[in-house]
Amino acid sequence: MRKARTGFLTVALALTLLIGGCNRQDEEPGQITICFAFQDLETEYWVAAHKAITETLRARNIKVLERNAHQDANRQFEQIRDAIAQDVDGIIMIPQDGESALTIIGEANQAGIPIGVFNRPPADKSKPALVVVADNEKIAEEAVAYMAKAASELNRKMTPLILVGDLGDQNSIERRDGFYRAVNAHPELFKKPIEVPTKWDAATTLANLEAALQVTPEVDFIFTSSDFLYPQIKAVLEPLGRWKPKGDPDHVVLGGVDGDSTAYRLMKEGYVDATGVQDLFFEANAIMDALVEAIKSGQRTPEKWIQDPGFALTQENMPQRAMDMWGCRILHEEQSNEAR
Amino acid sequence: MKLDNTLLRWPKAVVLSNHFILVLTVLFFLVMWGIYPHMAGRRNLANLLSNTWPLLALVLGQMFVLIVGGIDLSQTSIMAVTSVLGAMVMATSLEPTRFAHNPLWGVLISEQGGWLSGSPWAVPVAVLSFVVAGASIGLLNGLAVAKLRMPPFMVTLVTMSFFSGLAIYLTQSENVRPLPDSFIAIGKGTLGPISPPMLIVVVLALLAFVVLDRSILGRWFYAVGQNAETAKISGVPTKRVIVLAYAFSGLCAAVGAILYSARLEAGRPTLGRNLLLDVIGAAVIGGISLFGGKGKVLWAVYGVLFFVVLDNSLNKMPLDFYSIDIIKGAVILLAALLDALRTRLSLYHAPLAGAP
Amino acid sequence: MTRSALEFDRVSKSFFGVAALSDVTLSIPEGCLLGLIGENGAGKSTLMNALAGVITPDQGTMRLFGVPFHPTCPADATRAGIAFIHQELNLFSNLSVVDNLYIDGFPRLCRLPIIDKRKAYRQAAELLTAVDLCLSPATPIELLTPGERQLVEIAKALGRNARIIIFDEPTTSLTAAERSKLFQVIDNLRREGRTIIYISHSLDDVLRLADTIAVLRDGKLVSTGPGDQYSANRMVADMVGREIAQMYPARASAPGPESVLDVKSLTQPGMIKDISFTLHEGEVLGVFGLMGSGRSELARIVYGLDPFKSGSIRVRGTDAGAPSPIRSIRNGVAFVTENRRQEGLLMEAPVSENIDLSSLRRYARYGSARIIDRRAALKAARQMAESLQIKSGSIDRHRAKHLSGGNQQKVVIAKWLLTDPGILILDEPTRGIDVGAKYELYSIINDLASRGTAILYISSELEELTGMCDRILVMSNGEIQAQFRHSEFDQESVLQAAFRGRTTANQTEANGEN
Repeated sequence: MRKARTGFLTVALALTLLIGGCNRQDEEPGQITICFAFQDLETEYWVAAHKAITETLRARNIKVLERNAHQDANRQFEQIRDAIAQDVDGIIMIPQDGESALTIIGEANQAGIPIGVFNRPPADKSKPALVVVADNEKIAEEAVAYMAKAASELNRKMTPLILVGDLGDQNSIERRDGFYRAVNAHPELFKKPIEVPTKWDAATTLANLEAALQVTPEVDFIFTSSDFLYPQIKAVLEPLGRWKPKGDPDHVVLGGVDGDSTAYRLMKEGYVDATGVQDLFFEANAIMDALVEAIKSGQRTPEKWIQDPGFALTQENMPQRAMDMWGCRILHEEQSNEAR
Repeated sequence: MKLDNTLLRWPKAVVLSNHFILVLTVLFFLVMWGIYPHMAGRRNLANLLSNTWPLLALVLGQMFVLIVGGIDLSQTSIMAVTSVLGAMVMATSLEPTRFAHNPLWGVLISEQGGWLSGSPWAVPVAVLSFVVAGASIGLLNGLAVAKLRMPPFMVTLVTMSFFSGLAIYLTQSENVRPLPDSFIAIGKGTLGPISPPMLIVVVLALLAFVVLDRSILGRWFYAVGQNAETAKISGVPTKRVIVLAYAFSGLCAAVGAILYSARLEAGRPTLGRNLLLDVIGAAVIGGISLFGGKGKVLWAVYGVLFFVVLDNSLNKMPLDFYSIDIIKGAVILLAALLDALRTRLSLYHAPLAGAP
Repeated sequence: MTRSALEFDRVSKSFFGVAALSDVTLSIPEGCLLGLIGENGAGKSTLMNALAGVITPDQGTMRLFGVPFHPTCPADATRAGIAFIHQELNLFSNLSVVDNLYIDGFPRLCRLPIIDKRKAYRQAAELLTAVDLCLSPATPIELLTPGERQLVEIAKALGRNARIIIFDEPTTSLTAAERSKLFQVIDNLRREGRTIIYISHSLDDVLRLADTIAVLRDGKLVSTGPGDQYSANRMVADMVGREIAQMYPARASAPGPESVLDVKSLTQPGMIKDISFTLHEGEVLGVFGLMGSGRSELARIVYGLDPFKSGSIRVRGTDAGAPSPIRSIRNGVAFVTENRRQEGLLMEAPVSENIDLSSLRRYARYGSARIIDRRAALKAARQMAESLQIKSGSIDRHRAKHLSGGNQQKVVIAKWLLTDPGILILDEPTRGIDVGAKYELYSIINDLASRGTAILYISSELEELTGMCDRILVMSNGEIQAQFRHSEFDQESVLQAAFRGRTTANQTEANGEN
């Protein structure tokens, strides 16, 4: 019997704690509530975006309801419908993919709640939404163009390799297109590119890249569709004696897209030649501004397609533009935090 | 002892009753309602209900397999593969840029969409192929378990891996859409309290109830789960019963796949990828034993309600996402703890109830 | 005058107002063997559980060698030198003998947390010799016979230097040879001055072993005294509370002429060889054999649980082909297995669902939907439970696991009677059942026979067979060695037949393995 009573007490205590926990934030009258639903935080880019969005919204005295869908489209669907039932004023979503984005936008439209889609665009433009998206093709092309320029100084025919993202993701398709456009502009410089699928997964990348380099060890030009894969590239190149900074005869011309802190560090050390930078802070601010404006002006189904032009950070323009790269800024913030 | 008895009589009655999880869910709901008035809003209640149906379909199927002492890990991959196949039958158009490298391009699908794109038969045939494919995969599981005597965990782990891989291969990771409007309408629950998913799953649940509670077959399911040897000697066709349980589980997974695909408006190769824990979790919280021989339709309903209300209320909390999973885990643990406590209490009472 | 090893003084315990033990006062001298008997539910287990620290008595005290003893958990009892050797053995069958002997504390190497294997093996070998078991300590338990396992349990108790050893039904699964070996070991233990409590339903064993006998009934100590003052009849009378004039009820009927089961040259290599017999209407045909003689295998093959290679089984003149349980039930064959918990009952299911399990098809409605007519099924089950006098609460809510062994066995029989069998195969139907329930079972069997049911009665209790059967077949080494009519029953010649071919059989088996 004593055990039973202790059990009941534990339960009661836990319930009290739970209720206490829920009641932490009280509603202020007239405060805007925004639901921020994301698919998962797989890469540094998403983590940084999550941080930028939640912090900025809270700084503007906007209540944020965060929802992580754990890469499950149906869960995201349910989460956003629940948020709608809770009468949120607006929704910012990083969707699992373009198709489910479209379905969810439909739900928001029906309920008359403005919705913004961050960085991963819906499959088509059939339903109104605020969308901010990087011009992936252009950014990738710029980065690869600089890499080609660096390669042309070596006076040899290059063997290029591209790490392709997930083909279900519009962004990775555009990045691949950008890569090809830049490479095809210099037929005299490049042999036929080798494609290595990554599915946006580190382990897959490692295995596939290792295999590719066994078959064609002469690869000397690598473009990754996302910066978060540099550690895997290093892990494969280093044992082959090919992980060398710029200027070394064994240097592999290296570049990517995203602009995270690893990429910044590697550029400073000379391993990476160029990276296409999505302007994360621009994108975060643009979607929030557009959404808050829509809420305040009473628009229910606002529609706007905001393009982040981005830019390519190269060994050449690094001194001037490094601070425009989010990875670099995060790194500096961290360092100054540590200094304090 | 006497004081205890009178003081604890009411909680004891509740704790020991079969409806304990329902009581717990309702209490939880009421507390959350106190904090978030939106909980009982019309729209939220509609959400709650519409989230209940597809999950319930899966749990019902899982329950049959659990009752015969097995486990079906392949339900979610059955969902994925049937979702993709069904969609490939009825998709109204497909972009060549995304599907041209598909192994079925030109065979089953083309620029005009799926196999029966545009035909009035597209949706009925698609629905039929969902169900037939799901039940067949379940049948395969059942045959491997019953006839080849392979351990259920292994069998369904293998089918899980195989069919989720197949779903991704068949689509090359692309979602198959758009689907016909009449199919999408199956998934919508906005016509007041009665919606197509509700009708479908309530019929499924009634069927499950009649079979389990009223038919000879039902008694056989329990007998096989409680003691397969006794059942066999007593003239129960144990193998047939096991095969049927898995086939029904596959069929239920297909029904779940229909509802989820319709609601997400696409055939998705990753459909339900993370759902398995919710399915088995709901079944177990409802009181369905992992060791076989125990389970009721009503318990499945309670377990699902518990999970749905929990998820819904977590979606209301203004917590950062790091802590939400911790709270979800804590609440499930709490419920499991209470249930263990309940089992202990009922053990206390066993000598009394059991005295001849 | 020897001192008392163990004293119970006015020990009482009740569960939810029902007294399980009341005022039990009992003293056991050191080096004495106490035979503790009583029907199921008489309080034997409760008394032993109190001693083991599993339950705490409500009232009364226990003294161990004069010192008050209040165990609160089983480890207390172990530490105090009390060892329990249970009906269900507590050995890990996948581990070796030595691992089992030291499962709760291996000898250590210089007090380090390292097992001193050599020492463990040496000590284990000594312990095994002490119980007269010639085995390597490395042998896995699963290779041992039930009797050998029992001896390992005893060795384990010796290894812990137990001063009081409690045996709970140790002989149920032993062969005659194993049993006499066990008794020898028990005698040795007693000679060494260890105190033994021996619990058994086998009254002959108790009479053979006990210095003192104590009889419990309804939680009370009914009688106690030196073993030589007891006869089987007095023990039964004390246990049951009334005089049972005879152990076996009289048969009022004789077998009919019509043969219902014809078995011809039935053979399955390694199990049975060339078995032929005929079972008649209303006949009780006994099958006697020692463990491993093929008696249970024969039953399983006839019922269709195991396959056979050659021969034929004819039920009422028609060839049953290769029977399966489903087909056998349809042919009116019923099988009460040797092992009711594992093969006869759904322990978690209500009594009624156990009773109607095999005859559900009779209560089907709505054609192929086969919905159960629950009211009719329950009514039939209830009638059957009443006619067999199954003591249970409401049978549709009461679970089988809560019944006593005798009532559980009656549930199994009720299940089969509901199928209206013409042929009933019983394999060790009275194993582990108390005297009163046995008598009731015998009466049921006689009654069935008088109504024309043919009964194949398999048992390792010769006395039971001679008391019940019209004929006895004796099996050994998978073959029928002899057949006796009722008038020819003679203990000695039956036993001789049962041992016939045993030694030669072992040799051929050994040769076959090489």
